[in-house]
Amino acid sequence: MYPRAFHYHRASSLKEAVTMLSQLGDDAKLLAGGQSLIPLMKLRFANPQHLVDLNFVPGTSYIKEEGGALRFGALTRHAEIENSATAAKIPILHDCAAGIADVQVRNRGTIGGSLAEADPSGDWAVVLITLATEVRCLGKKSERTVRFADFIKDAYTTALAHDELVSEVVVKKPPKGSGGAYIAFKRSAPVYPTASAAVQLTLDGDVCKDAAIALGCVGLTAIKARDAEAALRGQRITDKTIAAAMEAARAAADPQSDMRGSADYKRALVGALVKRAIEIAVRRARGEQVEVGHIYA
Amino acid sequence: MSSENNKKNWVGKPLPRKEEDRLLRGRGKFADDIKMREMLYLRFVRSPYAHARIVSIATSDAEAVAGVVCTLTGAEILPQVQPFIEIAPEPGGKIKDYPLAISKVRYQGEPVVAVIAESPGIADDAAELVQVEYEALDAVVDAEEALKDANILHEEAGTNRVWNGVFEYGDVEKAFSEAASVVHIDRLHFHRFSSTPLEANVVIAQWNPKDERIYYWCNNSFPSFAIQFLSAHLNVHIDRIRVETSDIGGSFGIKITSYPQMAVCALASKKAGGRPIKWVETRSEHNTSSAHGNERTFRDTRVALDKDGVITAIASRHIDDCGAYPRYEPLGCVIWSQVVPGVYRFKNTRIDFTQTVTNKCPVGPNRGYSRMQHLWFLERVVDICAHELGIPADEMRLRNYIRPEEFPYTTPNGCVYDSGNYPKMLQVAKGLIGWDEWKKKRAAARKQGRLIGMGIGTTLDSGTNNFGQSQIVNPGAPFSGNSQGANCKLDIYGEVVVAVGSCPQGQGHETTAAQVVADVLNIHPDLITVRTGFDTERNVHTGFSGTYASQFAVSGLSAVHGAAQKLKAEMKRLAAFVLETKEDDIEFGTGAQGPELRAKSTGKSINYWGLANIVNVNSAVLPVEMHDVTLNCRYIWRAPFKVPDKVKKYGNLTLTYASQLHIAVIEIDRDTFIPRILDYVAVDDCGTVINPAIVEGQVYGATAHGIGAALMESCVYDAVGNMLTSTFSDYTPITAVNMPKVKYGHIETPSPHSYSGAKGMGEGGAAPIHTISAALQDALFAEGIIVDDSFNNADSLFRAMVGKEIGQAAKLVTVERRP
Ligand SMILES: Cc1cc2nc3c(=O)[nH]c(=O)nc-3n(C[C@H](O)[C@H](O)[C@H](O)COP(=O)(O)OP(=O)(O)OC[C@H]3O[C@@H](n4cnc5c(N)ncnc54)[C@H](O)[C@@H]3O)c2cc1C
Repeated sequence: MYPRAFHYHRASSLKEAVTMLSQLGDDAKLLAGGQSLIPLMKLRFANPQHLVDLNFVPGTSYIKEEGGALRFGALTRHAEIENSATAAKIPILHDCAAGIADVQVRNRGTIGGSLAEADPSGDWAVVLITLATEVRCLGKKSERTVRFADFIKDAYTTALAHDELVSEVVVKKPPKGSGGAYIAFKRSAPVYPTASAAVQLTLDGDVCKDAAIALGCVGLTAIKARDAEAALRGQRITDKTIAAAMEAARAAADPQSDMRGSADYKRALVGALVKRAIEIAVRRARGEQVEVGHIYA
Repeated sequence: MSSENNKKNWVGKPLPRKEEDRLLRGRGKFADDIKMREMLYLRFVRSPYAHARIVSIATSDAEAVAGVVCTLTGAEILPQVQPFIEIAPEPGGKIKDYPLAISKVRYQGEPVVAVIAESPGIADDAAELVQVEYEALDAVVDAEEALKDANILHEEAGTNRVWNGVFEYGDVEKAFSEAASVVHIDRLHFHRFSSTPLEANVVIAQWNPKDERIYYWCNNSFPSFAIQFLSAHLNVHIDRIRVETSDIGGSFGIKITSYPQMAVCALASKKAGGRPIKWVETRSEHNTSSAHGNERTFRDTRVALDKDGVITAIASRHIDDCGAYPRYEPLGCVIWSQVVPGVYRFKNTRIDFTQTVTNKCPVGPNRGYSRMQHLWFLERVVDICAHELGIPADEMRLRNYIRPEEFPYTTPNGCVYDSGNYPKMLQVAKGLIGWDEWKKKRAAARKQGRLIGMGIGTTLDSGTNNFGQSQIVNPGAPFSGNSQGANCKLDIYGEVVVAVGSCPQGQGHETTAAQVVADVLNIHPDLITVRTGFDTERNVHTGFSGTYASQFAVSGLSAVHGAAQKLKAEMKRLAAFVLETKEDDIEFGTGAQGPELRAKSTGKSINYWGLANIVNVNSAVLPVEMHDVTLNCRYIWRAPFKVPDKVKKYGNLTLTYASQLHIAVIEIDRDTFIPRILDYVAVDDCGTVINPAIVEGQVYGATAHGIGAALMESCVYDAVGNMLTSTFSDYTPITAVNMPKVKYGHIETPSPHSYSGAKGMGEGGAAPIHTISAALQDALFAEGIIVDDSFNNADSLFRAMVGKEIGQAAKLVTVERRP
């Protein structure tokens, strides 16, 4: 369980990190929390020749509220988000951060690293795709803003160029009357979910003005369940509309069988998770304080 | 001074563990903590195939890496070694087992080449450069398929069948002809899992050219067994092999079979000129290729019952899957028969037992070894019959349990259950969980369409084996009985030092041994030093020494007790001489100068230092008739066993029978299919309790393992023998978030077979597996589902309920009612 030999470089600014990446070429990788990269290196599935460590770059870990949006520095750890009152203003973000793996992983793992890794089972993408999210990407020449929907291209593939990095994640606060929830089924804390569902609803009285529903671990990327959203949008939330959303979510899922569950089971499960997430989202949209946790085996 | 009149009893007290401070502060000394000068590191190149012929091996690129000292292949070790001892007679006995693959690989992860280098990282780098060319062969992963012999793993054996035998007792056919009903169960299956010790296997070996001895520092949990295998394999006199163990981070039986890796490390050290070799197993190596628990399939079960639902006979065919090499097997083919009738009274039974090899990781004696498979089978039989006949699960058990007044109870195959009270355990467990209230809640919930089940699991933890049972599987086997050694001495300055031939992995031997000696000498346990960890050089081991099979409380502590009694007698004799009085005038206690012996008549006393001084460094004052007093007393305890009748397969196979009764209330969510334990109780009876805190800890640990096995943990192979659960992300061992709150209760029925009334209790018989299967079936029976597998996660429940793939009662069970 030892990685192959590699060169270690410590960046003192994000700009310097980008410069290093472009100079060192394809065999260089950034190191953030190391919670995806280091295990892969130890198993020798990833064998970078150069690591550019971002952990010593000052001012990259923060949670700020500015102009109706929350801004997260790339190196903000899951645990910081979990414990932040500012982040909790968007409750679904807290659901997500608090449910990632275990304390050790949350203390190290970063939001920027998670998005850059684009693991098909990662939690952040499922949640962020239900919100108005932008990713700030710093390149050699300039910094650009990418809509989250355009950021993750495929499993383990993002819009980032090789010498570009995630510098910040910006999440617009949902409007008044909006509530969300994120629920996963996990066999134990330190493993990725079998399936997960993120739901963000905006209510106008009893009617659902807007709905965003995303499914996790049932496809190569987080899946935006558009038909499930349509089943709720403009409708009253009733058992019937929820059932329709559940069915539509199941239809949108494209799971594979693995040790976390058979494809058929994951499809059934993700519908049930959507239903629960809708129920919590509605309560939160109505101003109720509701704690949710993932479901463990 | 405190005297024997105001004697305290340490046995029975929840004394905090002496080892706790060291272990909890991270100051334990584990094998991987050992660093030595000139140490080299070994990495195995392992087979990616489940079954393949080795065409060629090229190690030169690996050897060319700077820092690589050498490599080792099967072909190279072949002339230096004998194949490992096989316990089986033919055909299994013809199998040739070597620690590195010779011409074929037989499971994914089998070691093929060893790379030895100056650092673990270099060994890893070089291992990637070893080229092995394979010619893939068809793999067989299913036991029943394997028995068709279409693909033979071991050509020299000519068949995949390792062992077969029929265990028949009573008059089975008569019982069936007189039965009021007969229940047929087509197939039940006990899955493969492991107890995944936190610390994986570690071996440090040095074949020292200066004294031609082999030194091991390792965490093998049955070293006296390992050295017998290693001595014969390496052609080395057994006295030339020294094994030391220190703290061990769990074994659960899995570390018994690390002797093949121990052999490779020794041979590597020899090749490397005697430099010490360290091998530290990775988690993925551990999961794919250390040892798994036995998988078992139960076919064509027939159960005869009388009109009251009392079981009168069980006939069945059991197929055990031991993976690619038998190793500790086929002992499991007889070990289950320690509990032929489980906790039940039926007298007639016929079990046709077969064991087969398959292209999977070899098995090892995993916690609950071989008995839990059989006990799970019996509990399934009892619950299936109860449901089919409409008898409540608790009532069914009460009708069939061995009765308290029947102990000591001789089973149909001659085993003697020492003591027990199963109805009382049931009563205690029902009280703790609130059985009657749960019944009401279940009824109310069912009306709302919720799936709630209540299940009972009763099980036995038979401890202190009669190794004579090995002769039932192989009449030529030279083993019988059981023994353990201990030494108790006053050291030169009067310290009380105890050594035992066990190698604890968290069972608290340091503490319980001190409690026993403290009571014998009437001193505080803190004054007693217990040397734990195995060391051949301490000369307190017998051929059975180690820590396995729930026996320390009986074999280990009996040996400690015997040695302490011997020491006490010598101390008394010596003190009487020094204090010029009679032996019966001497009393033991603690005075101003520490622990001492005192003459009641005169009040004169001598402390331990004084006694030890005379014997060790002042011996000229001793008269000749006292020269046999050494204050250094070794005692070998022997279990009172006879060799069983090999033909009838009859005899007493274990000394003590601890029992466990668990109850679970489980709800299966109709939307997610996730089973949730709503309430859980574990009641234990291990006879006289030596340390209640340690017993309670063992019960929680065993319960966690059992719940994990029932709901989360399974070693999964695909159809071609790829291991799909090689990491903890896939295998998902149980963690704290998965544990329900466990209510604990206990009763005590002292064993008449041990000096203290205690029974071995480390394995817990996997009670949660039986209990959870029972509760799930109770929840699902109305849906037409029978729980036919010991592993049930949300996915399997989904497939049974929606996919209707598994557990369909209509296909599995038929009931014949006789008028
Ligand atoms: C046992 C375990 C369980 C886990 N369970 C979960 C889970 O349930 N849910 C979940 O979502 N995650 C889980 N994770 C992953 C965890 O969330 C990781 O923290 C995350 O996936 C990667 O973040 P990191 O900061 O550790 O990135 P690293 O591992 O350091 O890097 C990951 C990749 O991203 C690149 N990278 C890092 N930072 C940047 C950046 N700022 N810009 C561009 N590229 C960058 C790196 O070069 C690398 O390729 C688990 C991890 C472990 C070890």
